[in-house]
Amino acid sequence: MEPLAETPWDVTISGTGLAQSLLALALSRSGKKVLHVDQNSYYGGSEAAFSLQEAQEWASKVNGDPEHYPFEDATVYLPEGTPQLPTRSYTVTLSPHLIYSKSRLLPTLVASKVYRQLEFQAVGSWWIHRPSGVDGTSVLYRVPGSREDVFADDIISVKSKRTLMRFLRHIGKPPPDNDSEAEEENLAMSLPEYLTSKFQVPAELHEPLLSLSLSQASPGQTSAEYAVPRIKRHLASIGVFGPGFGSLLAKWGGGSEISQVGCRALAVGGGVYVLNAGVESIYNLHQSDNGDDMRVQLHLSNDETIKTKFLVGSNWDLPGQGRPACDKVARSITVVSSALESLFPVTAEGGPIPAGAVVVFPGSSFDQSDDLPPVYLLVHSSETGECPPGQCVVYGSVSHAGAGGQSLIESAVHRLLQTNAEPDAKVLWSLRYTQLGLSSNGANAHSSKFEGPSSNILCFPPPSLDLGFDDALIDRVKEVWKSVMGDEANEQEFMNFEEREHADDDD
Amino acid sequence: MSESTSTNTPKPSSSVKLVLLGEAAVGKSSLVLRFVNNDFQENKEPTIGAAFLTQKCSLPTRTIKFEIWDTAGQERFASLAPMYYRNAQAALVVYDVTKPSSLTKAKHWVAELQRQASPGIVIALVGNKLDLTNDGNEASGEPQADGEQQPPAATADGDDAAGEPQEEQDATPGDARKVSTREASSYADEEGLLFFETSAKTGVNVVEVFTAIANAIPESSLKSGRGAGAGTGQTTLGGGRPAEDSRVNLGDRSTATAKEGCAC
Ligand SMILES: Nc1nc2c(ncn2[C@@H]2O[C@H](COP(=O)(O)OP(=O)(O)OP(=O)(O)O)[C@@H](O)[C@H]2O)c(=O)[nH]1
Ligand SMILES: [Mg+2]
Repeated sequence: MEPLAETPWDVTISGTGLAQSLLALALSRSGKKVLHVDQNSYYGGSEAAFSLQEAQEWASKVNGDPEHYPFEDATVYLPEGTPQLPTRSYTVTLSPHLIYSKSRLLPTLVASKVYRQLEFQAVGSWWIHRPSGVDGTSVLYRVPGSREDVFADDIISVKSKRTLMRFLRHIGKPPPDNDSEAEEENLAMSLPEYLTSKFQVPAELHEPLLSLSLSQASPGQTSAEYAVPRIKRHLASIGVFGPGFGSLLAKWGGGSEISQVGCRALAVGGGVYVLNAGVESIYNLHQSDNGDDMRVQLHLSNDETIKTKFLVGSNWDLPGQGRPACDKVARSITVVSSALESLFPVTAEGGPIPAGAVVVFPGSSFDQSDDLPPVYLLVHSSETGECPPGQCVVYGSVSHAGAGGQSLIESAVHRLLQTNAEPDAKVLWSLRYTQLGLSSNGANAHSSKFEGPSSNILCFPPPSLDLGFDDALIDRVKEVWKSVMGDEANEQEFMNFEEREHADDDD
Repeated sequence: MSESTSTNTPKPSSSVKLVLLGEAAVGKSSLVLRFVNNDFQENKEPTIGAAFLTQKCSLPTRTIKFEIWDTAGQERFASLAPMYYRNAQAALVVYDVTKPSSLTKAKHWVAELQRQASPGIVIALVGNKLDLTNDGNEASGEPQADGEQQPPAATADGDDAAGEPQEEQDATPGDARKVSTREASSYADEEGLLFFETSAKTGVNVVEVFTAIANAIPESSLKSGRGAGAGTGQTTLGGGRPAEDSRVNLGDRSTATAKEGCAC
């Protein structure tokens, strides 16, 4: 192998997570000499997907080397008496987030011509847990996500339907032509206050509407300013790629697939890839020292020393960047022995069979006195290729890190099986962990400005903890791309590529 | 060849992800070029990184759309392979029948696939450049067209040419074969691989490899998951449509935008 040291690299990217891999895609036709390294032996970084065996190895690494992973306290839970599972029949992902049809990620993947390597599937229904009636039993209730849904709903009273329709019509209105004329809507209140005071939407519909915003805070803690645009996004996304659904997931491991596609594109474009090679130390070179503009010298963990103009990574892939302020959430990945078919109905005539569903357990459903945040379960059917038929992978998240949050998720999964699975359905395997990042409605959300210690060492902010793909990532990638391209940056060309020769032309 | 577009009777169609692996210059890209464009280039340049191509293959009962990742064999691209064979349903591991070291490398790839790839992956071991052997002439069923033969060892990349054992002289004059059919096929048998000897140059056996792979893909992995049958509550709603119906086509965006926004 020709030593990496001999090449004067334009850009060295450290880490193959989603941010870095989208940057790889952005640079794949730039003509720049790009070295893309990862300290791990796998691709995908904080968005990787694993077999069960790999997930187990990942958990020990996370616990043993907290400096290098935005994760903590990872443990695998194997219920007693569970048979050995065929580890490679599973692909569990650290990035199960859904992608709204209106997300800018999708046109970006289309314009950069990589979308054909991905297979997208629909996330169909939103379900919310609600106690039902006198006997204390509980059921999952399908959240109406469109006007048609509201009409068809047979639980909401006629009067409530009218208020709900008024709200939906209000937020579905196109923005007025002239911004200055528009009367500023007052959103400085909690979502329940807003719904009650402006539309008289009854309280029983507050949690369902909140779930459409994917807010990970309790209703009282979620501002209308945060939730209303997100509910709008939900509604506006329905029907964009087909009837009855408004969000997507990438088959075979979600964000992990998307990052691999980015890396593949750069590889086709001549980028050089080295796994098991983290950046161990950075020396800034003075331009005058060596005459050329190789401004950074890096020592890699595979013992090579290289020179590069730019170095890009995250706080966990670059040495000496310190720890940014992060939020923490409890997350878990659970394999269950039920296909949970009732969660995946086709939601409109002619629509696809959904492969994903969202199940929300409001904090109030846990019979605890506190103002608890909701638990979200993103349920992936075996159609996603993540598990064998007859099973599902349940991705749990609650913005309450630690044992308390884990027990909330556990109880939510348990109740999901009780309400929607066969009596003998059970948990087969589970990975539990704490994830660090920026919550979209947390205190740190707006401090996530892109930062670098110097103009040629660029550090992505911590990953978003949003359950939907956060479009801000594309802006971050674009900023880095602009810095790296310098004078050559032409905004029109960002992620906008011609078909490569031999490329598929028969679709 | 495989483009039988019988539009009046649409057969079910499934895509199959296929990856090509093997030492540099054994002819991976040439095999794909033959399969996809029915063409051959004497001096094909080494692949940089990887290349993505597609080709349809028509079977009696269904159409298979191969999504092919042709990877670079040069050692400096070795870190790339995992991102291509992950989730692949089929792999074509190629060696050069005139170069024993390339079979050794192929065995490494087979072992890595068996360790890391999806458990159901269909692997075909392919000995290429059959035209450089005496059997090549027979198998192709046509007389050697021109007297000038390719030099036995691959020329595109000199990486490992030096360390190669030159003493195996079991071949007849003009026969550059260095790996016997028996050796490779018994290895393939042991490991449960499909086995073919091909020539990308003359086209011998090339379509056959892909057809055999298409036939060997288990029905269950074509119709993944629930679509496979099992009269569940789901199938009533699904109306018995083929399993590919969980796929969402991003290309549909333009046609669908008309009804977007749920008109609320
Ligand atoms: N005689 C003969 N030559 C072949 C055959 N297949 C490929 N070649 C030649 O072998 C050389 C290498 O072929 P490629 O298809 O580029 O090999 P590769 O495996 O893709 O190489 P990398 O991309 O570097 O991994 C080229 O000069 C081809 O023309 C064959 O079947 N017979
Ligand atoms: Mg090639």
